[in-house]
Amino acid sequence: MITTLKKQSRTVLLLLIPFLIVIFLFSIFIYFSVSNYSEKNFFKLLEARAYKVAKERLDEKITKSDPNSPEKLPHEKDFFIPIDNTLDIKEQVQKIGIPASFFELVINNKSAEFVSKKYLYKGIRYQSTSGDYIVITAAENYFQINQADNLIRTLLFAILASLILILYIALYFSKNIFKPISEITEQVKEISSENLHLRLNDSNRSDELNDLARTFNNMLDRIETSFETQNNFISNASHELRTPLTAIIGVADVVLTKPRTNEEYVETLKIILQEADKLDNKTKALLFLAQTGFNGKVQKFDKVRIDQLLWDVKENLESLNPKSKIYLDMDLLPENPMKLKVNGNTQLLHLALSNIISNGCKYSNFEMVTVSIGASDDFVYIVIKDNGIGIPENEIKYIYDPFFRATNTKNFEGYGIGLPLTRNIIRMHKGTLLVTSIENKGTTVQITLPIWQINKD
Amino acid sequence: MKKTILIPTDFTIQSLNILKTFLNQNPNNHYNIVLVHGLNIGDSIRDLLFFSKNKQIQELANEAFIEAFEVIKNKFDSQINSLKIDFFTGSNQAAFNNFIEGYQINQIINSNYQLTFSTRKSFDFTRYFNKAKVEITTIEITNHVNIPEKGNLAEVFFNQISVG
Repeated sequence: MITTLKKQSRTVLLLLIPFLIVIFLFSIFIYFSVSNYSEKNFFKLLEARAYKVAKERLDEKITKSDPNSPEKLPHEKDFFIPIDNTLDIKEQVQKIGIPASFFELVINNKSAEFVSKKYLYKGIRYQSTSGDYIVITAAENYFQINQADNLIRTLLFAILASLILILYIALYFSKNIFKPISEITEQVKEISSENLHLRLNDSNRSDELNDLARTFNNMLDRIETSFETQNNFISNASHELRTPLTAIIGVADVVLTKPRTNEEYVETLKIILQEADKLDNKTKALLFLAQTGFNGKVQKFDKVRIDQLLWDVKENLESLNPKSKIYLDMDLLPENPMKLKVNGNTQLLHLALSNIISNGCKYSNFEMVTVSIGASDDFVYIVIKDNGIGIPENEIKYIYDPFFRATNTKNFEGYGIGLPLTRNIIRMHKGTLLVTSIENKGTTVQITLPIWQINKD
Repeated sequence: MKKTILIPTDFTIQSLNILKTFLNQNPNNHYNIVLVHGLNIGDSIRDLLFFSKNKQIQELANEAFIEAFEVIKNKFDSQINSLKIDFFTGSNQAAFNNFIEGYQINQIINSNYQLTFSTRKSFDFTRYFNKAKVEITTIEITNHVNIPEKGNLAEVFFNQISVG
């Protein structure tokens, strides 16, 4: 609760501070532009007034009441100072209360302005019939006295009113923006390794928060699968490793219950050796799986000709098990042999391909297995097709789990390491492995490997 | 002499097998090959203005088809002088005759394969074949149903007469 409050007040502050800064700068700008404008205006008025009084007093011309000429201003003071030898600026400075520079400006520039706290002074140099005069008109700073306070009050009131308004809006926003986020947080907190099946609610709205929830859900899907895989792996692995051990222990136990003949001992040891061999094979396969799955290890990659490799694999498999029938289909072999070369490790690719092909032989009871090669401009395709028992449709997504064996493979020997191992190898070669199957009809495995390119490092 | 041949296609790998079987049966000739798809592009001026052959091909052909297409091209590299895909957009016999004349087609390859179309814009133009004044060859291809590799690139490797 405290954290949400903190989050909310932070949003409110984040919204408020820039707004306040902007509105404050605005107010200051308005204030100064208004006061500047009215001062300028007032000085113009004073100038006109100065000329008028100078004409009236010094030239003693009584102008007819001109509608345009300004009337006497409130608290107006007029000063007439002759410019001659008797001019004592210091005395005048004391008398009127304006600085000496003002007089010099009037004499030299014919006009000057001065602002004191309460008065505005406008001075002009007037040439009358009886000589030059400094005419100074002063009047009360009308704006400063009457309008400035009012303006400041209005601005402050506007700031206050908008502050309240924005505060209200900010509170509303922060509440509504953070509601779904805190909901997501709450929901995610509920999900632990015990209940990985839980998912966040996602509506059909297409906004960022919904995207977030969906991304979370996707991630949870992946985590759940990998958790399951790991759990399965451990139970399967321990089971697989225990089976031969149990056999060894059981046989040894039985033999040791009473003295036996030599032949019986030999037979028992043979069984034990056989089981130990199995165990050895399994651990070797596991080790290999771990090695290929581990990315940190650098394998030596070379140019490999796939067709040559396939002939090797075929020869090798047929010598291992003479029952295997492998047909290498070179129908779609590209005419340009450069297109058959891939960048890879011969041993690993050999292992991967013999895994797949021997699986094909095994699960089809040594019927014909067809291996075809083709190449496009970027990829080499190897397609291995058998007419064996296939993979049940709902189990095809588990085939890459280590130790997984489909339910229809009870009559066949195997550990369930070959396919995950093959996939690791193909992945190391940046290729893809695609397995399609129909139960009791057969399986097709399509391996895609990127072609070897000359200008590759 | 280089022959120009026309093969109808529906952008499935099965239809590519016609091409593959034909090239297998005639290994010593050079061919300019046109894969033709019947497409009704409509009368709308805007559609005609923005019609792009490449875009249309991308829309109709899936990745597996393109891959299989390239595999075949590489396989029969020396037999194929040129291999392209085009659309027949006409709607009568005269238009088809013009099309054939324009491409200077010498031979049409027909087959027992029934073209299947994924969009309503596509149409079967094989009915114009008989009245066209060019040589027509019919090829038999076997049609496996429900094989595991259906729809994948692997389909092009099998599904043919020469396996076995």
